Amino acid sequence: MNEIPTMSAEQLGMSKYTRRQFLKFSGAATAATAASVLSMNDIAQAAITRPLPLGTPILVVVSLYGGNDGLNTVIPYEDSAYYSARPTLNYKPDTLLPLTDGLALNASMTGIKTLWDAQKVAIVRGVGYPKPDRSHFSSMAIWQTGSPQTHLSTGWLGRWLDNQAIDPMMAISLGSVLPPLLAGAKQSGSALPLGGLIIPAGAIGKACMRLSTASQRDSKLSAAAATSMRNLFSVSGSITPVLSQPAPLDDDLPTVAGGNAGGDSNLTQQLNIVAKLIAAGAPTKVWSVSLGGFDTHANEANAQAALLGTVSTSISKFLSQMKVSGRSKDITVMVYSEFGRRVKANGSDGTDHGSAGPMFLIGDRVQGGMYGDQPSLTKLIDGDLAVTTDFRDVYSSVIENVLLTPAEKVLGKWSGRVKAFKSA
Amino acid sequence: MDLKRLEIARLYNRFGFGPRPGEFTQALKAGVAATKQSFLNPPPIDSGAVPPPVLTDLGKRPEPNTPEIIIFARQLRSQKEELELWWLDQMVATNKALQEKMVWFWHGHWATSIGKVNYAMPMLTQNQTFRKYATGNFSEFSQFMFSDGAIQVWLDGGENTVKAPNENFSREMMELFLLGVNRYTETDVKELARAFTGYQVSRSSGVVVYNEKRRDTKSVTVLSKSAVMGPEDAIAHLVSQPDCAQFIAERIWFRFISSQKPPPANHQMISAFAGREIAPLLATLINGADLANPQYEIVKSPVEWFVSVCRALSLTPSKLNSFTKLHGYLEKLSQVPFSPPNVGGWPTDEAWLSSASAQFRIAFATWLVNQADLSAIEALVPAKRAAYLADLLAVVEWSPRTSSALREVRDTVPRLVILAICSPEYVVSP
Repeated sequence: MNEIPTMSAEQLGMSKYTRRQFLKFSGAATAATAASVLSMNDIAQAAITRPLPLGTPILVVVSLYGGNDGLNTVIPYEDSAYYSARPTLNYKPDTLLPLTDGLALNASMTGIKTLWDAQKVAIVRGVGYPKPDRSHFSSMAIWQTGSPQTHLSTGWLGRWLDNQAIDPMMAISLGSVLPPLLAGAKQSGSALPLGGLIIPAGAIGKACMRLSTASQRDSKLSAAAATSMRNLFSVSGSITPVLSQPAPLDDDLPTVAGGNAGGDSNLTQQLNIVAKLIAAGAPTKVWSVSLGGFDTHANEANAQAALLGTVSTSISKFLSQMKVSGRSKDITVMVYSEFGRRVKANGSDGTDHGSAGPMFLIGDRVQGGMYGDQPSLTKLIDGDLAVTTDFRDVYSSVIENVLLTPAEKVLGKWSGRVKAFKSA
Repeated sequence: MDLKRLEIARLYNRFGFGPRPGEFTQALKAGVAATKQSFLNPPPIDSGAVPPPVLTDLGKRPEPNTPEIIIFARQLRSQKEELELWWLDQMVATNKALQEKMVWFWHGHWATSIGKVNYAMPMLTQNQTFRKYATGNFSEFSQFMFSDGAIQVWLDGGENTVKAPNENFSREMMELFLLGVNRYTETDVKELARAFTGYQVSRSSGVVVYNEKRRDTKSVTVLSKSAVMGPEDAIAHLVSQPDCAQFIAERIWFRFISSQKPPPANHQMISAFAGREIAPLLATLINGADLANPQYEIVKSPVEWFVSVCRALSLTPSKLNSFTKLHGYLEKLSQVPFSPPNVGGWPTDEAWLSSASAQFRIAFATWLVNQADLSAIEALVPAKRAAYLADLLAVVEWSPRTSSALREVRDTVPRLVILAICSPEYVVSP
């Protein structure tokens, strides 16, 4: 089960994902990595026997599901059009965390403001892609495959993985379902279920092991079922984990208004585990974590502030944990969401699906500051912000500067770059 | 592969929640045609029906740090528990398998989560609507769903006013409920939102009321039709689109036949749905050749797996020894009724086959089997037990791998049953 089930001709013939294809895609990605769902023990063992050399750059991708409202994240507080578009959903200037260029961070983002002041935060403004799609599922598929025009069955980081030596530790996603982002044609990233795996022991364990051997009579899905069970036993139980299993924590947040468009709810826990594994020397160059709840169609302010607070606090805590490990210089965090939201508030003190939004690049290798043009609040396209930076500009720069790979191998010929990294 | 066994097993596994003891053997004797008839012509009354819980309107959440909030929170929790157990019991006990399977299907289609709705009462009302229209008329069903309190809360319908429309409900109505993505424009989404303005919902009871002041009374243009439209006219217009028939047929195919392979073009389902009646569409799948086509395999979702196990082992969910454990297992397997992960509904197939879920399935199976009466299997000579289990569970055939694994544990009946229900042949409906 090491190859991704290929899409049928009917599906390839379609220009865009339907939602069910998106789900199927997620499913396919899971199957592709059935052979490499990891346990803490696996990673611990690899960290001991073949730790990532100090100085190797590491990428941490934070996906915000639901469509984060960029205008209330990086806020154009000096622009009167902001207040008139959002008469009851705006922030007063004195409550904000001012940056430069008439922009300020949401008041809940104190952690990222501190990093900004230390010049470790690049904010790329107006990021999106041509002909914005306002479906959560289609737009997230576009961002994760890195391909707005043509339908691909691999994620952009999956294609990067295809250019690496086969290694299930190379890219790891927290949570038991692998995002399409890490699905490659030759190899996919691995999923690390929170809480780790408990391997059935004793007679029932032995019997299950026998039950999970491959059979020639297995259909595709039966084989996947057998493989998923077999992988439980491929983990050696004899290695003393360098990490204690994380206790299941409470979710960061209560259910909020925007929680119906996917994503996980425990970003702090995910980043805490990533921090411990990086510090332990896991041979992993790409980590993927996520937070859901950004689909704030109603009563946005409190819900979004709480979510952004979690993003900000968990990232700054993560980076400070990294200092002790001596790897803080190696880390780059990238934050994105599938779209921004409509400029005009919708009267339920929320916002509907929009287009462009800001991306964050955070870390010691980043040259702090503003990049890309701030989209105008008055020259809107169909009520939405114009896209001023293509996300492939950002991806290309990340691929070259963090993953040290020619961008062409992942994105094909693409000339745009965002020069947000210090020269090596 | 024994195609007769395949077809009958699929009828039970996909168009129902698996057979009860003896049913599969009887169906094999009665034949494929007679079994199809029993699914298409169920008894008018569900003799197995479990009465739904009587839920009271808990009203507005009291202020924090008051004595009232403690009582409220306790009542809310117990209502949610009653609701979840009632539906699981109902799925296990029903004698109208296809009807119940369609309720489950519509729950994933109009996917609404109690996580945001928060109150049990509107979720029960929604479930009763799914029951009423399960195999009925989709036009009337869609009209009724507009006024569903739970979905109105879930998609911010009550926030959608003339002053500033909220597009959440209108977008999902087109993308996920009636037409499918890319079968409408962004302008259609905005215009439809205006036709949907003017409704408010009480969160705790789910009662939806019309408020003239919030209504946009100007003409709207939705899918090329311009008129002053309310939700009834707009939904009627959407449901009458050929794309609606295409979409609903695709969705039903996706859950009942294959999420891996799309239906053949111009499948009979679409013409059968011309009058927007759901039953004739289902009949084309039950009577059609696809049911005997071995390429269309499908994975049982965790709830489908659990309910099938309960039916086969004569277990009643509400009588299991711990609701907390039951709920915990379903949560770990990522499928708790009334809590779909997002408005797009439940995932399918490989998404249910991670190593994490294999681990939890084994633990769940062990917990269930330890509470089951296995005397019928104990009474058999060991050599006959695997074949008996294949019939009990509507498994088409055990692979040589599974046969040999079962043979080794056949003297220890609980272990044998755990293995059988965790086997690839049972987890996947071939």
